[in-house]
Amino acid sequence: MFLLCLLLVLPPSGATAAVVQQTMRPGIPATAEYLAGDRAKPAVLLIHGFQQTREFATVATLARGLNDAGYAVLAPTLSLGIPGRKQSLACEAIHRLGMDDDVAEIARWVAWLKARGHGSIVLFGHSFGSLQGLAYLADKPDPAVRGYLGISLIEARIGGADRAALVSRLQHSVATHKRDLVAHPLSFCRKYLASPESLLSYVRWDQARVLAVLKRPPVPVRLIMGDLDEMAGQNWLGLLQHVQVPMTVIRGANHFMDGEHEFDLLDTALEHLDALKTSPSR
Amino acid sequence: MIRPGQLSIRHLALIFFSALLLFTGLIAGFAAWQTHSVARSMALHNENAVRSELALAVQRLLDTTHRQASDLALWDETRQQLVQPEYYTHWREHRVYESGLLSDRQTRSGLYGLDGRLLAPDPHPRPMPGTLTPGPSPHDPLLWLANEAGRAVLYATHPVYEDDNRQTLLGHVMIRRDVVATLLAREPQLLARATDISLSVRPGERLAATELLDRLGFVVQPNPDQLRFQSILSQTLLALFALMLAAATLGFVVYNRLLVRPLDRLSEDIDAMQRGHFNPRLSSARPMRISELETIRRSLCDYQLQLRKLHGSLENQNREFHSQARQDVLTGCYNRRAYDEDWEAFRAEVKTAPQGVAYLLFDCDRFKAINDTYGHAKGDRVLTIIAGALTMALRANDRLYRLGGDEFATFLSRTTPVQARQIAQRCESLIEAASFSELGIKEPVGLSIGIAFCEADAIDRVDDLPKQADIAMYAAKQPGRSRIALYGEDTRGTAQTLVASRETHALFQALSEPGMIELHYQAIHSLPGHRIDYYEALARIRDDGELILPAAFLPLVNSRRLETAFDLAVLNQLDADLLSGLLPAGCGISINLSAQSLPHAEVVSQLMQLSRHGDRHPLMLEITETSLITQMNEVRTYLELLRTVGYRIAMDDFGTGYSPLRYLVDLPVDVVKLDISLVSKLAEGNRAAQVVADFARMMSDAGYALVAEGVETPQVLDAVERLGIAQVQGELLGLPRPLAELATPSAAQESVLARAPDRENDPDAVEEGNQEAEQPEQRQAK
Repeated sequence: MFLLCLLLVLPPSGATAAVVQQTMRPGIPATAEYLAGDRAKPAVLLIHGFQQTREFATVATLARGLNDAGYAVLAPTLSLGIPGRKQSLACEAIHRLGMDDDVAEIARWVAWLKARGHGSIVLFGHSFGSLQGLAYLADKPDPAVRGYLGISLIEARIGGADRAALVSRLQHSVATHKRDLVAHPLSFCRKYLASPESLLSYVRWDQARVLAVLKRPPVPVRLIMGDLDEMAGQNWLGLLQHVQVPMTVIRGANHFMDGEHEFDLLDTALEHLDALKTSPSR
Repeated sequence: MIRPGQLSIRHLALIFFSALLLFTGLIAGFAAWQTHSVARSMALHNENAVRSELALAVQRLLDTTHRQASDLALWDETRQQLVQPEYYTHWREHRVYESGLLSDRQTRSGLYGLDGRLLAPDPHPRPMPGTLTPGPSPHDPLLWLANEAGRAVLYATHPVYEDDNRQTLLGHVMIRRDVVATLLAREPQLLARATDISLSVRPGERLAATELLDRLGFVVQPNPDQLRFQSILSQTLLALFALMLAAATLGFVVYNRLLVRPLDRLSEDIDAMQRGHFNPRLSSARPMRISELETIRRSLCDYQLQLRKLHGSLENQNREFHSQARQDVLTGCYNRRAYDEDWEAFRAEVKTAPQGVAYLLFDCDRFKAINDTYGHAKGDRVLTIIAGALTMALRANDRLYRLGGDEFATFLSRTTPVQARQIAQRCESLIEAASFSELGIKEPVGLSIGIAFCEADAIDRVDDLPKQADIAMYAAKQPGRSRIALYGEDTRGTAQTLVASRETHALFQALSEPGMIELHYQAIHSLPGHRIDYYEALARIRDDGELILPAAFLPLVNSRRLETAFDLAVLNQLDADLLSGLLPAGCGISINLSAQSLPHAEVVSQLMQLSRHGDRHPLMLEITETSLITQMNEVRTYLELLRTVGYRIAMDDFGTGYSPLRYLVDLPVDVVKLDISLVSKLAEGNRAAQVVADFARMMSDAGYALVAEGVETPQVLDAVERLGIAQVQGELLGLPRPLAELATPSAAQESVLARAPDRENDPDAVEEGNQEAEQPEQRQAK
């Protein structure tokens, strides 16, 4: 793996911050911001939300807070198939990569952290990033990954469509090698444009699959949810509680945990990290 | 330069309204010119503004194009397509537009790989170039202009890098847009400012974008507000001009109807009035609308009425005056003026319409004696009766003219000599039948009529008719002949006519030219002894060497009333003769003088001057007793005056006149010259001789000196001598002799006895004697 680090001066904490880049696949480099921290503490791999970048406020704020607390934080921007992506990707943009590609990129960043000497890594994700992190956990996670914190975790929502029928149709397209782009609601996108294969990889992550992974996680998991999360389904919190996943519900917080709830989020995240120190490794 | 009277009021109106239109037109033209100038300035300003706007628009287009190319190059999805171009077509046809990076679909985009080839063929009708046009450096963005299918397009390329550090070049993005269409689409306001925007780029030509503005052609769209303003102004000016034209036309029509026509009518009426034509419609004409003109028309109408009345009155007066001017007041017939006018017209008429014409000349016989004897009042009555009779005798259309005195004339058209003579005879008959006796005139009043006739084929000689009639009339007056004489038949031929004409000419020439009158002197002898006492001066006219005797010219003198002028001429000649010294000293001179001349101051003055010769030549003044002396008192006064300066007064031709005794009583007469008609009786030895003898003795006893005139025979001379008459005169004793012959003493002292044989041998003397014998009535004039 080739690393190219560019050191930048970050004014808030005075800690060193660097943008690192990895070529995820030929011709498609991806970047991440690495905030160096106390090596005695686990490093946090922080995954941004749907179509966003690491610059998204909830993620960036949380990264700074964690770093300020002494944790090394690596906040990548998933390439989504775009070389050196720097911008939030439009829903109507052409999406060729799927959940597997996202998981692969997470794995590469985990590896990057390990290569940087971080033997203990906690996977953080916000919103759809939580789902991608959960997908990573479900697919042979690296042993260095010691914990998981899902913030405003949601499944791959597809609007009011029949998921089974959609999956069936997409599977048919994939099976028949039809490459025509498909436009379908996904998450907050009303018209998500993607290849059938790409869309199918996301559509398969419905609530049941998420709950199943959460019920038997390979690492300690914890969820931080806002009780006013408008993105979550009406019974999503109840379902989560039903599978008895550790979960902190911040009252009054919405999906983005903005405003004063940023501090609740950070405190809860730090509590989770502290708790992970005392928990036995796998 | 307009001369006075050439400019009419219509011309003035035309000039005024034309000037008004011209002035309006000039104002409109000036306004239009000013508007045009402002419009040009505004258009120039507008053009500059449009050019500036175009420059800004072009710059914006270039900037936008460059920015869009740059944005595309930096766009994540662009890099995505350069790496994974599977869905490049979707990106090119949709994503670049949906993302808003390219605002319009007229702008095409294309991605070129590192090999400079287009990622995928462009199915567009105007596809993007298949390969990237190489620039100086692959890392530099480019902007250029090209002609593509006849349209000017703007190309922009920008390098696409994998990372922000521009370390890894992925390829290039290129966009293309139609310059003009894009400009107009992006700058819609330009359409309102400029039209026909075009870009001149030749096929195959590649221009730097900086030349875009220079190659841009456009037509400035006129400012709509300005156009509207100009249109409104033009329409306003046009409307103003049309309004002024209509107003001027209407004004001219109204002016013409209200002023010019009425004034023309008035002017024509005034002109007609000046020409004497009155417009009868003036008074009934329609009233004029302008009060002042109506006042003038009414005044003119009144004036015309008054003028017509005055004109009619003047015409009547003129006719009356004309008639009076052509009428003889005394006789009522036409006067000399009418004669002159009518004769001229008659001559002209007969020359154009040849016909037989006759000219009748009437003269009253012995009218002078009648006038002298009975006075002018009765003379006038005689003339009136004669005129009435002649008028009655003439044909209805013939006119009688009084030429003067007792002379009348008429000219007859379409007549013959026989008819003319018949008319003359009718005139004579009516005169003879006239009752002159009622006037107390005992003598018969006769009329001599001279007729001249001109045939139609000799009408050119009509001018000679008066002269011929005059000759005929004198022929008629000859004693023993008919009182009606037709020229040619009753005259003695052409010779006499010429003589008469020559004598008349000679008379007037003698009166105007001194020296033509020649005095011959006849001696008056004393008895007994036959000594010459004095000479009587007798007048002759010498014309071209020939001597004209008194019988030939004295009738003319009397008829033309030339007595005074003739007497003055004779006195002047006598004065010259006396000054010549040819007359023997101590020899007296007797002068014949008309009684009519004596009251004239010039005659008396001349006689007074002659009296200076009295010492050398005793002077005697002979007054003929045959003439009627009307101014007796004046004559007597002058005679007494003349006696004081030495003149002796003689009564000539005594015994033949009208009032011999009255003259002797009233006038200071010294000598009585017995007329030959009395003296010749003395030799007859009868009672008449006794009466004459007794009368002579009575006169002698009364103290008058007697002279016996007309002693032509020795018998008469003897009788006179026996009677005791002291002086004699006659051919027997001596004929009148020229002055030059008196210078010889022998001639002066010739005796009757000695001369008797000579006289028979003197042809001149015989001729003179014959002439005087033939014209006894002229002998008194000697």
